Formats: sequence, C-alpha cells, structure tokens
Amino acid sequence: MATHEKVDVVIVGAGASGSTYAAVLAKAGKKVVLLESGPDWQLSDLISSDIWGRRVKPAGAPFLLEGKNPYGYAYQAGWGVGGAALHYFANFPRLMPNDFKVKSEHGRGLDWPINYADVAPFYDRVADDVGVSGDAKAEERWRPAGKAYPMPPMKTFKNGDIWLKGFEAVGIKMTPAAVGMNSVPYKGRPACLYDGWCHVGCPIGALANPLVTYLGDAKKAGAEVRARSTVTRVLTNPAGNKVTGVEYYDEKKEKQVQEASVVILAAWAGQNPRLMLNSATDKHPKGLANKSGLLGKYMMAHFASGTFAMFDEDVENHMGTVGAQYFSYDRYDKTSHKNAFGSTFIVAGTAQKTSDLSGFANARLDLFGPALADFMKRAKRGLTRIGAFGEEMPNIENRIEVASDKDEFGMPLAKIIHSFDQDAVALWNANFEEGLRIAKATDAKESWSARGNQPTIHLFGGTIMGTDASNSVVDSFGQTHEIGNLYVAGPGMFPTEGAPNPTYTIFALSLRGAEHLASQWSSVAG
Amino acid sequence: MAAIERRAFIKGAGLGALAFTVGGADVLLTPAQARAQGVPLRTLKPDEAETIEAIGETLAPDARKQGIASFIDQQISIPAEEALLEARILNVRPPYANFYRAAIGAINNASTAKHGKRFAELDAATQHDFVDQMRQNKIDGWKGPPGPFVYLILRSDAVDVVYGTMAGYASLDIPYMAHIAPTKRW
Repeated sequence: MATHEKVDVVIVGAGASGSTYAAVLAKAGKKVVLLESGPDWQLSDLISSDIWGRRVKPAGAPFLLEGKNPYGYAYQAGWGVGGAALHYFANFPRLMPNDFKVKSEHGRGLDWPINYADVAPFYDRVADDVGVSGDAKAEERWRPAGKAYPMPPMKTFKNGDIWLKGFEAVGIKMTPAAVGMNSVPYKGRPACLYDGWCHVGCPIGALANPLVTYLGDAKKAGAEVRARSTVTRVLTNPAGNKVTGVEYYDEKKEKQVQEASVVILAAWAGQNPRLMLNSATDKHPKGLANKSGLLGKYMMAHFASGTFAMFDEDVENHMGTVGAQYFSYDRYDKTSHKNAFGSTFIVAGTAQKTSDLSGFANARLDLFGPALADFMKRAKRGLTRIGAFGEEMPNIENRIEVASDKDEFGMPLAKIIHSFDQDAVALWNANFEEGLRIAKATDAKESWSARGNQPTIHLFGGTIMGTDASNSVVDSFGQTHEIGNLYVAGPGMFPTEGAPNPTYTIFALSLRGAEHLASQWSSVAG
Repeated sequence: MAAIERRAFIKGAGLGALAFTVGGADVLLTPAQARAQGVPLRTLKPDEAETIEAIGETLAPDARKQGIASFIDQQISIPAEEALLEARILNVRPPYANFYRAAIGAINNASTAKHGKRFAELDAATQHDFVDQMRQNKIDGWKGPPGPFVYLILRSDAVDVVYGTMAGYASLDIPYMAHIAPTKRW
C-alpha cells in the first residue's frame, strides 16, 4: 500500500458535481485530486451508436435492487470521467420556488433549508459558465425573473412542433426548452449539429458535458484526475472529528491512500452513502456523519409517463436533440392533478433512434416478428413522443443498505430498496391520461401510452440536506453536520426532488457549495 | 468550424467492428461476417447458438443472418466492462453468460415440456406463439429468468443487430448522421 503526499482536496467522482468543485477549488489555488472509478474518457471515445454508447454506462460493482419498484440505474448512471453527465440529455430546467418548502406548504415531504432565491444566482452563473440556450423571459411565466440565457433557443423540428396544437387544446403552454447545448458557437465550442446522438455523448463539445466545461477548467488550473481509481473508504482521525483522506484501489488494483485536508464525495447518489456506510469506525459506528440515522434514507426517483403518436407525415424524427425542444411547468403545482400529489414537468420534441431503451422498437414492446418489421418502417417516418416527468415524495423506507456480498475489493455491495407510494402511482396515471388527451387533439393517426413497469429515472436522496444533524446528513452547502472537512455533493443532497432533470441544479448547488468552501477554507481545512 | 469540416475531422475515428478470433488471430468483423465465415463460437455451445438464432429470427426477421448468435457469443466472451449488450443497461448482473445460459435453458425446457421439442425444432408459427406466451409470462412451469425479461433482452439483441447498426439504418432509409462512426460495417 502506498500513501500519497497530502493534498488540499480529494474529490471522489469526476462527474458534474465533482468537476464543479474541482474547477472552483483549483482556481482558488488548492491542490486538487479527483479519483474516478471508471475510464478516462475523451471526446473521441464518444461514438455515435446506441450499441457502442453502452460502454460509458456502469460496469463497476453492481447495486442489488429490491422493493416493489426496483431502481433501474444502469441506463442513466455514469462510469468514468465525466460521469452520467458525459451522456446526459442536457435538459436544463430549474427547480421552482414551490419545490423548496413542500413540508411547510403542504404538510408532507420535507423542506429544504434554503429557498429558490438562494440557488437562483447560481443557476444564472452556471448558465454563463457552461453555456445554456433558452428563453428566460418565457420561463417567467413560472418562476421569478432571472438573467437571460447566454444563447438563444435551439432550433425546433416537426417532431416537437407537431404537438403544440394538442398542448394548446388542453391549456398547456409550451416554451422553448432550456438546454445545456450551444445554439450558436460559445466559448470556443461549436454549435449543435442536431444529429440526435446526445445520449451517447457529444464528441464535438456542443453539449455541456464536464470534459468541455468545469473539468476542463479544473485541469487547466492544475487539478489532477486519476481514472480507474476506486475509493473504498473515507479515513478519519482517531478522535473521529476529522477526515484525513481516502483509501482506494488504483488501475493495477493495488491499495493506495490519498491524504487530504478536505474530502468531497461527489460519486453517484447511490455510491456516496455506500462509501460512508463502509467507512464506519468506533466513533461513527453507523457510518460517517450518520448520527441522525438518515444516511442512505429518503432515496427518490422520477417516473415518466410517455405518450407516443404516429403521424402520416414525415416528422423528421431522426433530427434534433435527445432532450427536449419544448418544456412546460403548467402542471407543476403539487396539486395540479386531482387525487394525486407532486409536480409534473412536461417535455416535447426529441430525436429518436432505432434501438436501445428509447428507440423506435421499444415504442411498441409488444410487437415482434413481421409486425415489428412493419412498425419500424412506419415509425421511421411518423413516430414521435412527449413525456411527463413526475415527482416522488421522500419516503424514509426507500433506502440504501449494505449487503453481505462484496465486490472485488472486499467492499460490501449496496442494495437499493425502492417502492413508489400511491401518490406517485396516481400522478403517473394522471399524466398518462392527460398525455392521451394531448395526442388526440393533434392530427396523429394513432396514439398510445408507453405503459410498462413504472420507470425509475434519476436518483436523489441518501445524504439529504437540512438544518442540523437531527434531521439530515449535510447542510445546504454539502458540509456534513458532524465532520467539518467532509462534504457530499450531487443529487443525494436533495430533500425533495421536484420534477425536472436534476443536472442544472446539481451544477448550481455544487458551485454554491464549492465557493462557500473556498471562502471558509481556513476554518474547514485547518 | 463549419459542420461539414467537423464531420470530416471525426471521420474514421471510430472503433472497428467486433474482434473475433480466427485461426488464433483477432480480426475485426461484423457479426454477420463472422457468421457467414463460420468463425468458431467461443462460449456458446452449438445448440445454444441454434436456439439464439431461432428466437432472434422470431423476434426480428433477419436477425439470424445479421449474426445475432455471433454477436452474443462475442459479447459474453469479453470482460463485462467492454460489453455492448443491452443487458448491461438493464441491470443484468455480470457475467452475462450466466443470464444467457439461464434464458436458453428456460426456453428449451419450456418448449420441450409443452411441445416435446427444443425451440429451434418448432415450426415458425409455433415459435411465434411460444414467444407471444413467453412475453406475457403465460407459460406454465417456466423456470429461469422471468419470461417477459428474457423477451426484452433477446428482442433488444435482435433489434440491435438488425436495426441498430449503420446497415440497419440504411435498410430503413434513415440518415445515420454519425459524429463518430462505428465504422461503416457495424
């Protein structure tokens, strides 16, 4: 085992949140090391293929999946430098003011210890940093005024435009989607080509993945990235009041120790609690920073109600971006749907490919043989879809626990136990019903719901933020309540999830946390 | 940089086709080429490959010729972290060969119990009905991974080899529009 020279900061995970922390702290003159369990991907590795795109999906130790609605993580999680944000759709919607006080306003769920106004300036800052295209003025229909996005909205295509008539018929206003993509050249990066391969990684840098944004900035400022470095424990001092670094296995699978003044856990929302649980000591017998017993609790997922429609005309469904051309918060009030609870975030307009989970073939999973072949011919011309993403309320029974099985490094595997409650099921169903009403108000020849098992999309919770150690694991900056030089970043901090895609908020909270850490450095790291 | 220049910049930068072992040497072939050239299977037994081909063809016509058995065999013979199978993103726990062996066994056991023949020996209409029942989890006495999940995984593999390749896009007359092409053959 080798012990590396002590650095100022060791960051576990080189995805969206870790990259943001690395950029801020490296620019502040700190010596930063990022440890990433997967490969060191480059833009040139991002091959335009659903088949080859699976290489950037998880291949490390598996999570064991339990509960009524097992959490299907492998499609959406990351593996390697860039993390999930290497292949994300780059939808950049914000949380809304009503997301931050659900408990106070509705008597259910949890409150955040901060408000929308605390995060809003960081949304604006991130937009300038990474490049966001959209129409901020149009979004003021739903949120307080903010700064204009640095780029105009993206182009739209028939596969999105063709739905507008249906949305209007049911009283839903769609606006240009805010996306982390370049509608025009931005900061030396080219504009989008609208080839629809966002979901396997954008190799030209038009999409704001970490490699071309914060991680690139961090490296320029001197941050070091060590790929294929799997962290297994966070180390603490004998008193248990400080972390001293991390133990990890390098690419040769040899044990290493990286000492650091500050440790930031910025791995996947499932992996951070697994690491903290596996780092238990006599001073922290239930896992690090777990006096509350809430470490690994309140795991949450989004669920989508998709609606497909087949048109006679060519809807150009091979063109565009994979995220959204339009979005709407018109069903974002927590009580928008009778007999259901939670926000809904609506998207329309997406490029589609032939295979993989969101490809043409999966639009009709019941078809096979000659019927599938016939469907594929029709789909390639006239198939398009919309989506409504629903919010699940935090439930303490949805959790991460360590399992008895171990990975190749001897670290216990973790299991994710997850079930949707009745509200989530009701909201899922309500959104299907509204989706069909929208479709039937268009000129579509056929429309149908994309029903199957209720999907689990994105992952939140496990290391939630709150006011103190009695109700949470971290504060709003990600600093653990119990160990001052241990931070957690990413969607695990969210006490409630809202309904939109999380990465914009992850960037914003990470920027906020990183700048706070830099400003408090001597008291935190001293 | 103009779009066409960017496309030119990336042209040819992609990975090759899959690596198959021929005469002790690794050669890059598409699964269809590997099948056509009779490249020996590394992990699947001949009867297992026959089952994969038969059910693949039932799920997506042309999957046999496009090399579904060669594709799966090559993929379950390499380290899991290099695998391109949809099983990887559907949370199947490696090694993936275990899942495919269990799925093939379940199919043939159920087929034999119901029809007295292995799946590959059934006529096309019976194969179609069998798959339809498997899809809906309606086969009595099914033992192994759940039938609907076996359907999902194998159907995805068949769709991959028939429609997910550049040739598959061409067959549907869909512009592929690669930033980085996986090579023209694959």
